[in-house]
Amino acid sequence: MAIRNLVSQLEEAILSLLLVGMTFLVFAEVVARFGFNAGIHWAQEATLLMAGWFVLFGASYGVKVGAHIGVDVFVRLLPAKLHRAVTLFAVVLCIIYCGLFLFGSWEYISKMKMIGIEMEDIPMPKWVSSTILLIGFGLLVIRFVQLGWKVLKGEAEGFHFADEAEESMAIARELKEAQEKEARS
Amino acid sequence: MTTAMLFIMLFACMLMGMPIAIALGLSSVTTILLFSNDSLASIALKLFEATTSHYTLLAIPFFILSSAFLSTGGVAKRLINFAVDAIGHVRGGLAMASVMACMLFAAVSGSSPATVAAIGSIVIAGMVRSGYPEAFGAGVIANAGTLGILIPPSIVMLVYSAATEVSASRMFMAGFIPGIMMGLLLMIAIYIAARVMKLPAQPFPGFAQLARSGLIALGGLMLIIIVLGSIYGGVASPTEAASVAAIYAFLVAVVGYRDIGPMKGVPWRRERESLPGAVVRNGAQMLLAMPQSIWHPEVRKVLVDAAKVSMMLLFIIANAMLFAHVLTTERIPHQIAEVIVHWGLPAWGFLIVVNILLLIAGNFMEPSAILLIMAPILFPIATQLGIDPIHLGIIMVVNMEIGMLTPPVGLNLFVTAGITGRDMVWVIKACLPWLGLLLFFLILITYIPQISLFLPEYIDHLRGY
Amino acid sequence: APIEIKFSHVVAENTPKGKMATRFKELVEQRLGDKVTVSVFPNSQLFGDDKVLEAMLLGDVQMAAPSLSKFQKYTPALQIFDLPFLFNNMGAVDRFQQSPTGQELLNSLRKKGYVGLGYLHNGMKQLSANEPLRVPADADGKKFRIQTSDVLAAQFEAVGGVPLKKPFSEVFTLMQTKAIDGSENPWTNIYSKKFHEVQSYITETDHGVLDYMVVTSAEFWNSLDDDLRAEVKKALDEAIAYGNEEASKLAAEDRQKIIDSGRTEVIQITEEERQLWVEAMKPVWKKFSGDIGQDLINEALKANAE
Ligand code: NA
Ligand code: NA
Repeated sequence: MAIRNLVSQLEEAILSLLLVGMTFLVFAEVVARFGFNAGIHWAQEATLLMAGWFVLFGASYGVKVGAHIGVDVFVRLLPAKLHRAVTLFAVVLCIIYCGLFLFGSWEYISKMKMIGIEMEDIPMPKWVSSTILLIGFGLLVIRFVQLGWKVLKGEAEGFHFADEAEESMAIARELKEAQEKEARS
Repeated sequence: MTTAMLFIMLFACMLMGMPIAIALGLSSVTTILLFSNDSLASIALKLFEATTSHYTLLAIPFFILSSAFLSTGGVAKRLINFAVDAIGHVRGGLAMASVMACMLFAAVSGSSPATVAAIGSIVIAGMVRSGYPEAFGAGVIANAGTLGILIPPSIVMLVYSAATEVSASRMFMAGFIPGIMMGLLLMIAIYIAARVMKLPAQPFPGFAQLARSGLIALGGLMLIIIVLGSIYGGVASPTEAASVAAIYAFLVAVVGYRDIGPMKGVPWRRERESLPGAVVRNGAQMLLAMPQSIWHPEVRKVLVDAAKVSMMLLFIIANAMLFAHVLTTERIPHQIAEVIVHWGLPAWGFLIVVNILLLIAGNFMEPSAILLIMAPILFPIATQLGIDPIHLGIIMVVNMEIGMLTPPVGLNLFVTAGITGRDMVWVIKACLPWLGLLLFFLILITYIPQISLFLPEYIDHLRGY
Repeated sequence: APIEIKFSHVVAENTPKGKMATRFKELVEQRLGDKVTVSVFPNSQLFGDDKVLEAMLLGDVQMAAPSLSKFQKYTPALQIFDLPFLFNNMGAVDRFQQSPTGQELLNSLRKKGYVGLGYLHNGMKQLSANEPLRVPADADGKKFRIQTSDVLAAQFEAVGGVPLKKPFSEVFTLMQTKAIDGSENPWTNIYSKKFHEVQSYITETDHGVLDYMVVTSAEFWNSLDDDLRAEVKKALDEAIAYGNEEASKLAAEDRQKIIDSGRTEVIQITEEERQLWVEAMKPVWKKFSGDIGQDLINEALKANAE
């Protein structure tokens, strides 16, 4: 449990850091341009690279916390057992998807390593920057295997999808609590 | 054959309840492997390119971050107070003020369900207390809440720009007049209904109070001025403006309004505190709040929430780019365009087809996913028929608004049901008359392109093109 | 099955580069019939300029024509084409490119797995800005958008300017909003991207060149048998010659259209003024002579003499 918590916190910290980093870097460029009449020549490449890492690293975290979106109105109509079977099949397809990308990424990265060129502005070999493909899809496989296992054991029926409607209700709850507090005082 | 394969795979995967991003990616990869001789390595490269070379797409996480900071009940309350003070004194004024509050909140947040939740949970109860039928209030709010994606800044518009390479700033400009028009249309309908139903008016609070609530609301509303002002006033590109907006939203939420974070509940001026004393104390606390924010659970939650949504959208977009790549290399949009042109379908007829298609899709899928799948197909056809891409974009956005109000998947319906505690059938009935109004608006938008195109073209004209 | 050549580029079909690719396709299919097919993918449909070279090594693209600056990470010698005021005019550029030394440079990419097949012209670069630039001092403190290139950054720093790297897609907005003051582009790019509508002044400096290299992967090129390779190369040479003609025609046309548009003022500088620019920017040569090779620079200078 403690380890699981630590992993979650680490994932969240990395994602937040990448998001904040991108925001600050673009902001810093605006400030540099207007405040100091200067440019940050490596900022653009760094921002875009962080965006790539953010997305590919985040995809697996998204599976874990159910941040992805999908259409589940139809499978929900199925009887529970069938629903689970369909989900299991879909999970296998997802793992195949990851497998294809892992294979392709491996080939791509090995070839890039062979020619050995650097990125444009950041002193780092290009192949290093794309290793996130392997990391990201590797983590994604782990998450899908975990999900498949849960479905198999009957702990889950389908993919757990983000529900913007449900999340928006948090604001409504917050307001209601505030109102009740006011009423009491 | 290839086309059939691609779409059958896509729909099969989606129906199985797979994440949309992976459904898009898997169907594309399979199609490429079966029908072309591209290697898996180059597909991996393509995906990497999709995530690391689209600078304009970065506006999406930045706007999501800024709206996450400003989508709090506190901001909603301030906007409602301002709106009620401004037009509450007209007959049916409370309902009109709610529409106005929705429009303002829409402008800073960009999320429709969030608008309904934030504004609705306060004003529906208020309307009932003042003698409005509950269904009336619920219908108005569910409808006005859809403006979140039409009034700029809008994530849905950014997604459309990503799918079609139409300028994001022009899309934003184009949404402005339709957004205000839809708001006014709602208010006029409310006014008529108020006369017929003899709904009450609020007392006018006086100009001093109006100015005060306006000033308080300005903290949030400045965001629109910063974003649109810096894009059109000549400071920054949309991406850069979005990063400025995110940082501004953080500052407003944490040190300005103090709704979240380490300064929550800290008053600007304590009782019997001297003015210089308050200035010094606030200054020190604000400085201290910056490092404290890093560890503050509320700030971190906003960050993680924004990260989740942005990552999800960008991952869909990256996979949708693979999908669009298959579409273009197989010349699928061209083929569909040829068929449609062969039918001799005129532009207006094509637009009917577009609207019906989008309304159906809107019943099952979320706006960004629909746009990413449909835009690359519809866009080339529209261009061939002489329909302006910006106009097509606004039509698509208005369709997405309607989709939020139609079952089975209608986010605004769900939220309205949640805040009123009623069942879906009741909510759908409450929304129905207003949905009719929205459909009427869609017809206006579809057949009068000037509504969408006037502002972007006028701005071009001002600049002398 | 016929051998497939996928030609990927990032511009529209009606540009000189686009026309060159189309002509190449026609010539190859006319002459080699069922042995080789060419598919052209315009508008970055397949890959953008950053990733197309990588895709080529993976064997999924056979030909592309990125700008010469894109190759600097592969061979520093190619930085020579970015040196300011090295070539007097396009004639000199062409003479150098066609010289044995210039042709030798095409082969410099071999170690990285690429073969240069020929140079394709775009044209000489001009300086544009929102204020008139007549002498180097006018550029002092101004922000200029550049392509990724150390030489180009040094070139603007030499006149006190601030080089800014920004994606091409954002340049128009940034110029319009005066977030950047100026840029350097050939006439054809200025006209096609409408930069003349958002830049009040264009100084006709001809200070540098922006050309492309048509490139293929060594693996693919060696896999063709000798006769076929010679035929393909011949077709490509003809297509390039045609593309170059189109480029020079278009440059002249676009220059005139920009002047006629009245949206911008085209500034002709005097020989003395031009000399000031040359003196200010020439130290850049020395800075990069180690990377590029002084011999190569001398060879290039010879092309001016003829
Ligand atoms: Na909005
Ligand atoms: Na719907």
